[in-house]
Amino acid sequence: MSTSTSSPTGSGTTAAPGRPIGELIFALIVISVGVVGFVAGASIQTPPSASDIGPKAFPYLVSGMLVLVGTGLVIQLLRGGTGVPEEGEDVDPNIATDWATVGKLAGFVLLHSFLIVPLGWPIAAAVLFFGAAWSLGARPWFRNLITAIVLALVLQFVFAGLLGVSLPAGILEGFGVFSG
Amino acid sequence: MSLLEGFAVAAQPMYLLFALGGVLVGTAVGVLPGIGPAMTVALLMPLTYSLEPTAAIIVFAGIYYGGMYGGSTTSILLNTPGESSSIVTALEGNRMAKAGRGAAALATAAVGSFIAGTIATVLLSFVAPYVAAFAVQIGPVEYVALMVVAFLTVGALLGSSVLRGLASLALGLFIATMGFDSLTAQQRYTFGSPFLADGIDVVLVAVALFAVGEALYVASRLRHGPIKVIPVTGGWTKWMRKEDWRRSWRPWLRGTAIGFPVGTIPAGGADVATFLSYASERKLAKGARKKQFGKGAIEGVAGPEAANNAAAAGVLVPLLTLGIPTTATAAMLLVAFQRYQIPVGPQLFENDSALVWALIASLYVGNLMLLVLNLPLVGIWVKILQIPRPYLYAGILVFAALGAFSVNFTPIDVIILLILGILGFFMRRFGYPVAPMVVGLILGPIFENQLRRSLAISQGDPVALVSSPIAAVIYVVLIIIFVLSFWMRKRQSALEAETTDDLEDDVDDGTGTPRASGAPGGPDADGTSGTAPAASGDPVEPVEPVEPGDPGAAAGVPGAKSAHGPDTVSGGAHSGASSTKNRKEGP
Repeated sequence: MSTSTSSPTGSGTTAAPGRPIGELIFALIVISVGVVGFVAGASIQTPPSASDIGPKAFPYLVSGMLVLVGTGLVIQLLRGGTGVPEEGEDVDPNIATDWATVGKLAGFVLLHSFLIVPLGWPIAAAVLFFGAAWSLGARPWFRNLITAIVLALVLQFVFAGLLGVSLPAGILEGFGVFSG
Repeated sequence: MSLLEGFAVAAQPMYLLFALGGVLVGTAVGVLPGIGPAMTVALLMPLTYSLEPTAAIIVFAGIYYGGMYGGSTTSILLNTPGESSSIVTALEGNRMAKAGRGAAALATAAVGSFIAGTIATVLLSFVAPYVAAFAVQIGPVEYVALMVVAFLTVGALLGSSVLRGLASLALGLFIATMGFDSLTAQQRYTFGSPFLADGIDVVLVAVALFAVGEALYVASRLRHGPIKVIPVTGGWTKWMRKEDWRRSWRPWLRGTAIGFPVGTIPAGGADVATFLSYASERKLAKGARKKQFGKGAIEGVAGPEAANNAAAAGVLVPLLTLGIPTTATAAMLLVAFQRYQIPVGPQLFENDSALVWALIASLYVGNLMLLVLNLPLVGIWVKILQIPRPYLYAGILVFAALGAFSVNFTPIDVIILLILGILGFFMRRFGYPVAPMVVGLILGPIFENQLRRSLAISQGDPVALVSSPIAAVIYVVLIIIFVLSFWMRKRQSALEAETTDDLEDDVDDGTGTPRASGAPGGPDADGTSGTAPAASGDPVEPVEPVEPGDPGAAAGVPGAKSAHGPDTVSGGAHSGASSTKNRKEGP
């Protein structure tokens, strides 16, 4: 249980202010998922014919594990044992979290999900790529736009046209090569 | 013999083409930071439904092996500290590249991966049928024991925090219980929603956690500035000198000997194997070569890379014979088998022997393809490494959305994808590993079924779970694995600290460039002496773009050409530890 305290090696993991709060909330969510598991698990019906431990036991086991582990995490956090953020080649550990970009990306994925049916997959995908590339700082906009359109058409052609995945073609419906 | 029949299938032109496509895609995604083989298999799963099972499995096998090769290219050539788990491996290769020996590092990694992969695949061909024959005899109680081992090794041993790994595992198991109970058809945790009646699709969760979570997390801390790839110099026919071969072959074989068994037992997969190999090579090195460790010792690349690939083949033994995945990628392969209604487990070698031998034969073929392709194509991999990051992560999001939508062709799945992706983002941010959650989700239903069957047989007596002799042995082995792993983790952090100290000393004294401090010494066997070090050996050279026409990078490798341009820098003497700082100074 004392493993994570020794982990921050080197200069990388300067704790961003407020992170322990976020981690505490996350640990509490883990506990509350377990609690929900117990509460909602109570209404699972056990058919009288069940010859084994029934459908309730395993969910209870998992819920108990969530509550136990979550409690352990809260204790560990209160003692100062914070987690080590994941490292990666493209991750700069020394800069502050860019919440605006994360929000924009999530927003474009959401927008994409609403556009697929009315406009067709290619347009929705192009919007997602264009928006995401722009959010992540790609410029100029016309290069992003051209890349987005080309990528969306190529994907639609390969997956719907060649592999037969039924992606709605939207306005491209008339062109046989694009419909799945 | 059945293996020959497997070759007869795998050698059909169509399947060769699928294998080629698989290894190319696998290598490409292995090279790209932020994408791994597990994510790729997850993304491609809904998109390959139209393929017949054999073709799809061959593609996935190619991706699995290709990903192993691609990763080493990245850690050798990319001037950033990689993930901490691979730091010991990346260290030597990266230092070699900075000393102008990147070509040799890539070559020893590729040849070593080929040799280890081939030997390990041979071992797999011989061992797997025996394990399968043994596995047919074991019952649900033993399965429960084996799965507990798999859960705990994946959940508790692989991350830096035991509790976080277990929390991740429990979340995966929780999602696994959602939907209809397979034995009694009761609804569990559906909250009255028809969208949850069938549970949440495994592929959806995997794509969300691996792809969307990663993209959001990287976006929150995206490293800006040019992508610095260390240029590869020297003709590729002269990539390895005689001395390099002499120093590499023993580490290759030792790495294989370490990697395969470690991969076979559920002890953490390739990471543990690479670390063990690195530690043993460091220990076995003598004299001047020992000092070279931490400064670009070729043994430190050859051994761990071989161990890595041998472990990858070893992981397939429990996967194919028992249906128990010990890594996230193996778990995704298990899902692929499930999608095609191929029951993985002891019966696989009997019931679907044609398919499983075609798979194994395609591993041999894929390995050979990777060796032939990788060295000449390094220029392409370097180009792929330089894809602008906004486009890379925007592309990952588009592919993730495509994969999610194709699961059921409903936009609701894309929204679930986003929600789970945000969960993956916070898990990465707070140091929760995502792999245990995916493994828990995939193994959860199987585990519950076996557990309930065991208890039904014993009429609810839980003692039966540990009283079977085989199960008892498995639990004892589990305890031993745990004790060993804690000892090893201590060793590993000690070794990492030590190696990092070496590097820092190296930089501090100002003279200890890789070249000066006796990295690849001896007579410069190839005629290009001077040019290679000139590209990267200058200790005080600031980080700046290599001008086109720089004599160092011009020595006609396909790779050197594409390593050109404003995106590249010559690495200079910057250590892995300080390169983060240097990046920020870049234009």
